[in-house]
Amino acid sequence: MAFPELSEDEIAQIISLTTPQDACNMSAVSRHFKSIADSDSVWTKFLPSDCENLIPHISPKKSLYRHLCDHPVPINGRNVSLSLDKKSGQKCFTLGARDLTIAWGDNQNYWEWIATPESRFNEVAQLRSVWWFHIIGRIETSMLSSGTNYAAYLVYRFNGHRQGFDRPVKSHVCIGSEELDEGRSVTLDPREGEPRAVRERAHGWMEIEMGEFYNENGDDGTLVCSLREVVEYKRGLVVEGIELRPMY
Amino acid sequence: MATSRKVTLLSSDGESFEVEQSVAVESITIKDSIEEGSAGNPIPVPKVNSKILAKVIEYCKKHVESAKAEDRVDDEDLVAWDADFVKVDQATLFDLIRAANFLNIKSLLDLTCQTVADMIKGKTPEEKRKTFTIRNDFTPEEEEEVRRENQWAFE
Repeated sequence: MAFPELSEDEIAQIISLTTPQDACNMSAVSRHFKSIADSDSVWTKFLPSDCENLIPHISPKKSLYRHLCDHPVPINGRNVSLSLDKKSGQKCFTLGARDLTIAWGDNQNYWEWIATPESRFNEVAQLRSVWWFHIIGRIETSMLSSGTNYAAYLVYRFNGHRQGFDRPVKSHVCIGSEELDEGRSVTLDPREGEPRAVRERAHGWMEIEMGEFYNENGDDGTLVCSLREVVEYKRGLVVEGIELRPMY
Repeated sequence: MATSRKVTLLSSDGESFEVEQSVAVESITIKDSIEEGSAGNPIPVPKVNSKILAKVIEYCKKHVESAKAEDRVDDEDLVAWDADFVKVDQATLFDLIRAANFLNIKSLLDLTCQTVADMIKGKTPEEKRKTFTIRNDFTPEEEEEVRRENQWAFE
């Protein structure tokens, strides 16, 4: 017996055990394999189970997968968007600034909320000035993909008046309280010549890695991602949100 | 139920295999027909020839024995045994997939399908064709169109 002689179900099962890229390559092998490799039987398995029916009018499932990779989708009731990591189908989340807990965020003396076309969210948080800088993002581990190594990133930029972020800020990515975790130091605006862990993103934003977390089964409770620095006088930061995505 | 009860399986090419019932019922298909009382004696196994049936029985025997073993370290040995078990030519591998599907032996189906999946992973379309001797029946224009359609997955 040869590969093409297996039943369509058997071939679909085999392809679904490979990767989205491999399935796309299988489409180019022959006409018979294309129809199976493009089928919903395969692509339903690549989609997270809670995303299968996220956008009912997009069909087939392969198109839905592609759409979710390139077009983050808002989650009901929260300023949070969901997308898929293209290579693996694992879920990525961006917690918009309005979803975060920002100390003094409600006080216009310290923080403003502005709309900007460069963000997928209605509003981003702009720092006027503050000493007590403390931002927390929370997400239930049950929402994340299991068996996945995640990294959290602050997505931000500066406006013209930045100050105080050339000093390190304490960052935590952990379950439960920040106090239980050692954390790391990150510098959002390193001076010239200093090591630079900041990366450029689209639309003028930057990101810096806050920490990592391995999500085994999604039953660890709430993941807490925080940044904190309460000594230096700070100005000029604009926060779009905190993004969680799989790392390799 | 007597644990040492034996049943006889008859391959599609007329060969008989006497096995412990506990081994035979690894196949849900056989288990169901025994429980329904509709299995003859010997139990015919159409679509599965003697060579493949012998392999399937070997697999089931090993897995039934391992499940009884006291020593949990055997899990790693079983994984290694499974890896050796599927080191067969492609034709046999696909025959095993068919047999595992027909006989409804989930763990064997998972193992054999994963083995083929691992042979597919990471290869270009041309390499995939070569590995499985699949004929390319696209016209050059069709093939180019398919590649363009799927470019997004690699960006």
